[in-house]
Amino acid sequence: MTALLLLLIPFVTATLLMVLRPTERARGIALGSTLASLAVALVLWAGFPGGTVTDLHTAWLPSIALDFSLGHDGIGLLMLLLTSVAFPFIIGAGYGERLRHPSLVNALLLYTQCFLYGVFLAQNVVLFYIFYELSLIPVFFLLLYWGGEHRRSITVRFFIYTLLGGMALLFGIVYCLVQPGMDGSMDALGRLQLPVGTQTWLFWALFLAFAIKLPIFPFHGWQPDTYTVAPMQGVMVLAAVMLKMGLYGVVKVVLPAVPDGALYWQRTVIVLSLVGAVYAAIIALRQHDLRRLIAYSSMSHVGVMCAGLFAWNHFGLTGALFQALAHAVLVLAMLYITGALKERTGTSGMGAMGGLKLRMPRLAVLFMLVVMNGISLPLFQSFVGEWLVFNGLWEVDRWLTFMAVTTIVLGAIYMLYAYQRVMLGPDKWQLEVHDAGLRDHLVLVPLIAITLVLGAYPGPILELVDGPALTLLSLFP
Amino acid sequence: MVNTGVLAPLVPLLPLLGAVVIGALRRRMGAVQAGALATAMIGAGFAISLVLFAGFDTAAGGTTVRLLDWMAVTGMDIPLALRVDALSLTMMLIVTGVGTLIHLYSIGYMHDDPRAATFFSNLNLFTFCMLVLVMGSNFLVTFVGWEGVGLCSYLLIGFWYTRPDYNYAARKAFVMNRIGDVGMVLAMVLLFHLFGTLEYAAIMDKAAGMRWNDPLLVTATLLLVLGATGKSAQVPLFTWLPDAMAGPTPVSALIHAATMVTAGIFLVVRGSVLFELAPFTQEVIVWVGTATALLAASIGLLQNDIKKVLAYSTVSQLGYMFVALGTGAYGAAMFHVTTHAFFKALLFLGAGSVIHALGGEQDIRKMGGLKGKVRTTYLTFLAGTAAISGLPLLSGFFSKDLIMAHAFQHGPEVFVLLLIGALFTAFYMFRLLFLVFFGTYRGEAEPHESPITMTLPLVVLAVLSVVGGVLNLPHLFGGNEALKHYLGTAAAGIANEELVLSAATEIALMAVTLVLVALTIVLAHARFVKRTTLEGDPAAMPPLKRLVAERWRIDELYARLFERPYAWLSRTLHRIGEERVVVPLMNGVGTVAIRTGQALRKLQTGNASFHLLAMAAGIIIFLLITLLTDPR
Repeated sequence: MTALLLLLIPFVTATLLMVLRPTERARGIALGSTLASLAVALVLWAGFPGGTVTDLHTAWLPSIALDFSLGHDGIGLLMLLLTSVAFPFIIGAGYGERLRHPSLVNALLLYTQCFLYGVFLAQNVVLFYIFYELSLIPVFFLLLYWGGEHRRSITVRFFIYTLLGGMALLFGIVYCLVQPGMDGSMDALGRLQLPVGTQTWLFWALFLAFAIKLPIFPFHGWQPDTYTVAPMQGVMVLAAVMLKMGLYGVVKVVLPAVPDGALYWQRTVIVLSLVGAVYAAIIALRQHDLRRLIAYSSMSHVGVMCAGLFAWNHFGLTGALFQALAHAVLVLAMLYITGALKERTGTSGMGAMGGLKLRMPRLAVLFMLVVMNGISLPLFQSFVGEWLVFNGLWEVDRWLTFMAVTTIVLGAIYMLYAYQRVMLGPDKWQLEVHDAGLRDHLVLVPLIAITLVLGAYPGPILELVDGPALTLLSLFP
Repeated sequence: MVNTGVLAPLVPLLPLLGAVVIGALRRRMGAVQAGALATAMIGAGFAISLVLFAGFDTAAGGTTVRLLDWMAVTGMDIPLALRVDALSLTMMLIVTGVGTLIHLYSIGYMHDDPRAATFFSNLNLFTFCMLVLVMGSNFLVTFVGWEGVGLCSYLLIGFWYTRPDYNYAARKAFVMNRIGDVGMVLAMVLLFHLFGTLEYAAIMDKAAGMRWNDPLLVTATLLLVLGATGKSAQVPLFTWLPDAMAGPTPVSALIHAATMVTAGIFLVVRGSVLFELAPFTQEVIVWVGTATALLAASIGLLQNDIKKVLAYSTVSQLGYMFVALGTGAYGAAMFHVTTHAFFKALLFLGAGSVIHALGGEQDIRKMGGLKGKVRTTYLTFLAGTAAISGLPLLSGFFSKDLIMAHAFQHGPEVFVLLLIGALFTAFYMFRLLFLVFFGTYRGEAEPHESPITMTLPLVVLAVLSVVGGVLNLPHLFGGNEALKHYLGTAAAGIANEELVLSAATEIALMAVTLVLVALTIVLAHARFVKRTTLEGDPAAMPPLKRLVAERWRIDELYARLFERPYAWLSRTLHRIGEERVVVPLMNGVGTVAIRTGQALRKLQTGNASFHLLAMAAGIIIFLLITLLTDPR
């Protein structure tokens, strides 16, 4: 029942914020709510016995195989933890951005959090789909009303593109639901045993939504623009958490439901992912806006992750899942720094920066630590996941590992160049800016601490995914 | 009894602690405080290393200290663990010993820099990483240090970060190292899948059962060599090292001469058993080393920046070490690593002392006649120059001749090329010595001798450069190659190599080398002391000389072959990939959605009779379908 709290806390807080509109204290209340959720998630983690835990099971609409059934295994718990860790920082970032109508903004963020928890807790396929689509709605409004220039057209494009994937997913799920012996539970997806011919086309119906959400090449068209105009907190939600729904969906829906289809398309997807990883890393070099850079950088990292999933072996799977958390922490820190820079310089364009280290030595050091994680230095979190993924890919094909490993060079090229353009060089603009303050440290220091602790001692997280990954793999020889 | 489990981790952790503390308090610490703390941390590390060294039982082979589980999933167990054996102890002593001297020296050198505390923090961090590199018990822990030293190198090359050219040099160093690291990562993945572990001890045991020239082993070792060429600045990945001279001079001494750049050599020695089984790779190493030794030495002949001369010299000396590795003479390579650490650190610190004395001047054309003005610096620099040129009985003499003898045994053509390299070395080093310290002073600044914290390390290193040869005295001189046999306890492969040349051959080779080196020095004396020949603008030189003076234009070649095409690729992919394919794909979806919507909207006319008609038509159609398809 503890897990139900995860849904209730953000939902109730969000509703209260909507109704009462406590403008001044909205951020504080939201922050308290996310911290409470974090505490609940940690309690869940502490009491996690392994295997699959059923938190709640109530029949709802049996006619469409919809049960309100919640539960989690190690992978689900990892995603819950990821969401819980991310949201306090996302809310905290709001103190810098100061959007209009803070109660509404925070309410929308909390609704998103609630629906995301729903996605990761749902043990029923229809419930999963409902939460999956619901989570898009608050984000849509956030982007539409609080975005920057051209927000309308960009948001609509993002919405339609994502929705298209969602429709395909719905079709795929319905197709699975009408199969004999299907009771609607997520577990039952693994027992479908559809004919191989069906699986090969059904794969794309199920995968397309996640491919767009992640996004992998070439379905990433929505991402750079959206990252650029969306309010910072919206981007944080998208990049740190919503993107992981894509990974989660692949692991929990696509691979179990259509294993042969996944195997049939394995090479295609891995190659697309890695081509995207390399392609995005190359393009990132010529970006002039930090947010666009982060969009491509994120895509590059996600490409490696997705390739790891589709390696469909133990190292690839555990590596990709570990990387999901690492990427969330990385991208939150990167985005926060972008926000902090914008707060001071009024822009996220790197052309208007340079030499800022002279003015902001503390922020420069924090940024450097984040960059180190971004280029996967060992003892930072990202290295653990990437190392495992490289090993997983090796078992599929050595050349795939080679492709993936090239990103460590390309990543260093664009990351260090970006760092130089922002922080180093002469003090060109003579901006009167203040250095990182208490709030910046409160956000960045814990994020960096997480990357270092889990980089040197990833055991607790690897343990979470080790068992479920073995179980998943054991389903299919 | 020495408690290795407690003492060994302290050696890297103390500098790490120093780095963190100094880093956190960098605004409140002056150069002297920060420097003293940093030096104390490394000094303590040196003391502990000595204790470990004294208490080390060579018969046991080595001790592994497991610190933390790291890459621990089903099917993989790669821990964070340290290994104390003859090889890591040798490297620990070099890193902490030379490191202490350079830290001490830096207190004087960085005295007036407002960011001295940051400097010491980074220098301590570097030492931590370097110690992790040499102490790692498996490839992946070594890789932690490997990447860490690369990062510190980046930070310290770009230490004066307001200079865009320095930042560029820093990035260039990091990226070139990373290109090598691709090889390193792939090699580790391959080795892991081959052996199921990355622990050195376990791999060395298992490798013994491998076939000679096994294609997988050859691939793995070639990939490791790629990593080593990046870190140890070998052809083709060497161009970053001369640019790395943008960093403060003590950094050049510690990182870019004495320690970090020898990481590649260390790695090959660590994996010696694998390389012994891959003769093809060994042949590659010999030729990479020879090419590097010769190419870099030739460039050194015509450089005018005191640090650049030393940088190319370092590249060239690393080439000699590579040749030794390729011929299987791991002991000789490590011997040269050690003596080179002494004399090259000495030369760089001496150069730093000169630069310090002249208020930042680095152009040797504006020096001269400093002999009487900076006496200690001169005498110690002389010792270093004599040692690197291989003058008899100095440390460099023994270590270089050992390599040359092994090269001769491998193939006379390698020996001849290395001999030419040695003559180049003697020439550019004495050219440097003569132009800086002899003749008349050609600059404007008022030279003054450096403070004691700077000259003391010079003196210590000078003594080591002179007597360092006793560490591995060859049989010919009454020794028993102590270092080689000591290292041999770490891995069987290390002490395998034997010189089978007769004493007469050895003496003959030595004599030829010595006579030619002596002649070269006389030539240099004639050119730079009797007359002072200064190099002018390369554009006015004859073509070949100009090419050498412009460093064979390799930097330009790389810019043209890689940097500019990459920038072009980035722009083009963005223009074509994003704007012509990806965005249209997405817009196409949007357009279809909108068109469909528009088309369907036309049906919603609001006209009741039309709706009724449509409804009736629909019912009829469905009825027909049902009737026609119903089998009954």
